[in-house]
Amino acid sequence: MFKYILGRIGAMLLTLFLVMTLSFWIIRLMPMSIFENPEVSPEIQKKLEDRMHLHEPMAVQYFYFIEGIAVRGDFGTSVKIRPGLDVFEILSTRIPATVVLNAFSLILSIPLGILFGSWAALKRNKWADNIISFWIVICISVPSFVFASLLQYFLTFVWPLFPTLYNAQASNFGAQLYSMILPIIALSLNPIASIARYLRGELIETLSSDFMLLARTKGLTQGEATMKHAFRNSLVPIANTIIPMITGIMGGSLVIEKMFAVNGMGGLLIDSILAGDHFLTVALLIFYSAISLFTILVVDISYGIIDPRIRVGGRA
Amino acid sequence: MMTENSTILSVNDLRISFRTVNGVVQAVRGVSFDLKRGETVAIVGESGSGKSVTMKALMGILPPNAVIEEGSILYNDMDLTKADEKVMHEIRGKRIGLIFQDPLSALNPIMRVGKQITEVLRKRGLSSAEAKERAIELIRAVGIPDPERSYSAYPFQFSGGMRQRVVIAIALAGDPEILICDEPTTALDVTVQAKILDLINQIKEERGLSVIFITHDLGVVANMADRVNVMYAGRIVEAGTAEEIFFEPVHPYTWALLESMPDLQTSGRLQAIPGAPPNMIAPPPGDAFAPRSSYALKIDYEQEPPMFALSDTHIAATWLLHPKAPKLEMPASLKERIARMRKEAEKYV
Repeated sequence: MFKYILGRIGAMLLTLFLVMTLSFWIIRLMPMSIFENPEVSPEIQKKLEDRMHLHEPMAVQYFYFIEGIAVRGDFGTSVKIRPGLDVFEILSTRIPATVVLNAFSLILSIPLGILFGSWAALKRNKWADNIISFWIVICISVPSFVFASLLQYFLTFVWPLFPTLYNAQASNFGAQLYSMILPIIALSLNPIASIARYLRGELIETLSSDFMLLARTKGLTQGEATMKHAFRNSLVPIANTIIPMITGIMGGSLVIEKMFAVNGMGGLLIDSILAGDHFLTVALLIFYSAISLFTILVVDISYGIIDPRIRVGGRA
Repeated sequence: MMTENSTILSVNDLRISFRTVNGVVQAVRGVSFDLKRGETVAIVGESGSGKSVTMKALMGILPPNAVIEEGSILYNDMDLTKADEKVMHEIRGKRIGLIFQDPLSALNPIMRVGKQITEVLRKRGLSSAEAKERAIELIRAVGIPDPERSYSAYPFQFSGGMRQRVVIAIALAGDPEILICDEPTTALDVTVQAKILDLINQIKEERGLSVIFITHDLGVVANMADRVNVMYAGRIVEAGTAEEIFFEPVHPYTWALLESMPDLQTSGRLQAIPGAPPNMIAPPPGDAFAPRSSYALKIDYEQEPPMFALSDTHIAATWLLHPKAPKLEMPASLKERIARMRKEAEKYV
């Protein structure tokens, strides 16, 4: 198991390095000058260029870039969005809102998805299953920003139960969280539906498997057999859907953050790309990749915990 | 043979059908047989002959769309066809154990082998330490090497034969008195088959089990069964002691089964049974095997043959046994083969 995790971490670091390299080259080769501000005098521009090694060839800049991150944790300085500020500092002020939003959405999605999915599977072709399956189709096919608009219209305008926008200045964390409920719901509907859909399919298949029959013939009740044998087996493939789900939440978060005025990373990424704040863009891309890679690592490890065939690494 | 000859399980005129989108499938159409204490009864037939459905009915694990139309399964004067889930739950595992066809899919792939055995023992009220001890004993009893280590291994770490031994250990954990083996060797290599059959025979002797052995392979039955029921299209077409079925078969279907068995002396190709089993949504009238049989009489297509008794133990449902039927002998090649089998058998007596 230890070896398995170590191998995964190694692969993750390698991928992260490749992502860093790719995003550096792609972003920096874009036809946009880092300094276009006429108010900055040429002398200062020259000084800044010297400091950021911008007069050097790209290959050399690339090594400065890698060295800065690897040795000093220095991602560079913002030049357009918040001129002069350290990119890492900008990130750290924006990260919490996004992380809270995405984390709550995830925490909400997984148990609810599992609940609805197994409910539908156990009541297969009964009315409960039909209702759940109907909503699964709706929630998967309608994008999250549509739900966001509907939620905003009905729950803040028609029945004003929630604040329309995220309130970062709220007096306490509870009030802050309260203003975040709508974006969390908007972000969660799709992942809940996709987990439920996968689990329903998996569980139905597992319930009709031979080992379920054996579990019953050896004297377990249907309920015991379902809990002890079917459930965990159906979770194995579900772990895989968590990865696209998390990246999906983060992608949805880009739009949802704008709609609810959440001052997170999503808005920042779009602004920095449009403004040509290359250092900031690259840092944000690396951050998003790092999060994705981290979730993949967590999923891979949980995979190993759920399924011994991966952990023990014998012949399948 | 045991001296005690009481009937432990009795199946009487069992009829089971499935409700499907295409219509009602009559999977079992009047099956009767008895299982006596300490003996092995084999049910032999092709795929789709209804043998596995009969087995599922015995265990009370028929799929939801199956209906028991008629008949009874008497176990200790209790009719299992009318028993509710609560009663069946008491019987499954504890009274009647089951060995599956495919040991690969019958075991939970992500649960340790030991846990899958102790689960049954814990249900019977053993403490976890007792259960573990007992499970290791069982693992040893079914001939798996290194029981302590195997206890905490996963199914995928075993070979097919070893997995089947695990399944047998699970079946034995409930300490049943009847063991149903549903094609226990079909998914295994030939060399492993013999070992598993020996093991089943051995535990049967040791524990005084009564065994119902379901298979499509008459060759496997030869060394196992005291009595044999040959099933075709949801019916028993011939039943008798192993000697009667192997040495004096009378039903054309039994002949065909025997001829399709590989044998060291057979030169040339094996004789496959022509055609396919009938569609059980609309089973043919009369003798269901008639369309595939080269010995079919006109009446075979019209009227269902009754059971003719050849001896106290030997019965067969074929019009060939009717006094008015033409006197037909089994094919010559089969006769030779049976003669060879007799010789083989005498060698071992």
